[in-house]
Amino acid sequence: MARYGMVMNVHACLGCRACMAACSQWNQTPFWAEDFKGKWRTRVTEIEEGKFPEVKRYFFPTICMHCENPPCASVCPTEATYINKDGIVLINYDLCLGCGYCIEACPYDARYEYELDDLKKDEFYFGEDARHHQAHIDKCTFCIDRLEEGLEPSCVATCVGHARIFGDLDDPNSEVAKLVDTGKAKPLGSYMGTKPKVYYIK
Amino acid sequence: MDLVQQQLWVWNIATYLFFGGLGGATLALGILADLRFNLNKWFGILVSLLGLALLSFGLIWLVIDLINPLRFLLSFWIAGIGHSWIARGMVVIMGSYIFGVLYAIAAFFGSTTFKKWMGYIAMFCGFGVTTYTGLLLNANVAIPFWHTPALPILFTVSALSTGCALVMLILAAMKSHEAEHYFHFVEGFDILLISLELLIIFAYLDFARLGNAAVMKSAHLLLNNPLFTVGFLVLGLITPLILEAFASVKHSAKSLAGVASILVLIGGFLLRYLITWAGVFQYPHGIAG
Repeated sequence: MARYGMVMNVHACLGCRACMAACSQWNQTPFWAEDFKGKWRTRVTEIEEGKFPEVKRYFFPTICMHCENPPCASVCPTEATYINKDGIVLINYDLCLGCGYCIEACPYDARYEYELDDLKKDEFYFGEDARHHQAHIDKCTFCIDRLEEGLEPSCVATCVGHARIFGDLDDPNSEVAKLVDTGKAKPLGSYMGTKPKVYYIK
Repeated sequence: MDLVQQQLWVWNIATYLFFGGLGGATLALGILADLRFNLNKWFGILVSLLGLALLSFGLIWLVIDLINPLRFLLSFWIAGIGHSWIARGMVVIMGSYIFGVLYAIAAFFGSTTFKKWMGYIAMFCGFGVTTYTGLLLNANVAIPFWHTPALPILFTVSALSTGCALVMLILAAMKSHEAEHYFHFVEGFDILLISLELLIIFAYLDFARLGNAAVMKSAHLLLNNPLFTVGFLVLGLITPLILEAFASVKHSAKSLAGVASILVLIGGFLLRYLITWAGVFQYPHGIAG
């Protein structure tokens, strides 16, 4: 039993969005959607702050925060959203009603609708290898299928700047646990009581 | 903070919230008329069944809103009843149907004791439907304007008010002494409900004025929308209050109360549409870009 988490080092993110490409290929998420704010399990948002000449520009990677107290799970009527033994927030697609209540409840904009049209596109692009067979709400799973094979999540494996660091927060020797222990890596919106397991170095 | 207006729940969810609340309140008021105000059994039966029909009409919009409408059967899988208001809502909705129909059957066959028990349970379920529509939105922590105890109270009071409006419209067309008596009870009750609604709206907006950025943005959206200020506040709330107050003094002015009822019904829909429309996510900075 682990307590998986991730540290995002915002200073190290190049904004190449290779993570988005890798994630969408591995998980067959709707890369055919129209914009970068649409249907992605992970997003890299370009942020510009201040006014010329005091301007700062950086890239901000986001995924599901895999909260220990997830609002998405607490509103789910069918318990389709659940936390597995390793602390990963998952969705049982067979039980997902598709009501969108979890999308409205998530304070991190981590969920989207995998609609009937998306299923058709998935089948069009991936043929027999298509992995989505029913409409559901979709979100990051920390690439649980890769974890079971001893691999890192696809976004972590592909990150060229080592901006995404993944590991077991309960293992004191893991890089994530060490970074979190230093206090430099902090969760987003901790005031909401969601207890996210994704931390940010900003 | 990144403030983003929610786009997922729009007019179809508002339609459900309106007809759900209206249906639940109509069911409860129809049964109350029979059990407490001695109106004839057909009034109780038909108005309670009308309440269930309105609830069903609302549910159609909820089903259409699902990603795959065929999956609505999964809504009976209420495993999340311990924490989810959709699951709890399904229980009170099913309760409304089961006990509402049993009440109507008992009333039809004249089984007094059974009718009374079924009627009171159905009334409780109908009231539950009016309340849960607000609690449903209230559970969204990401939208601070909804995540306030004022919302379920506002929706409950508003739903009961729309139920009163509909029942008044039906009673206005009836002639009997009992119908007259119940009409004046419902009219007085509606005046109280609209007054309460005004107080809650005032407190809600005052809270929003001093609230956090997302709450202030929601209030700003509402107060700058003529549908809210003129449509809901003036035409859907203050005007019917004045008309009903006047009609209650002038005992013959049923037509005034009728006009007020129609305005209350329009206002009830506008309230739900605008509250859902004005929901603003408060994301930690960086999430929305």
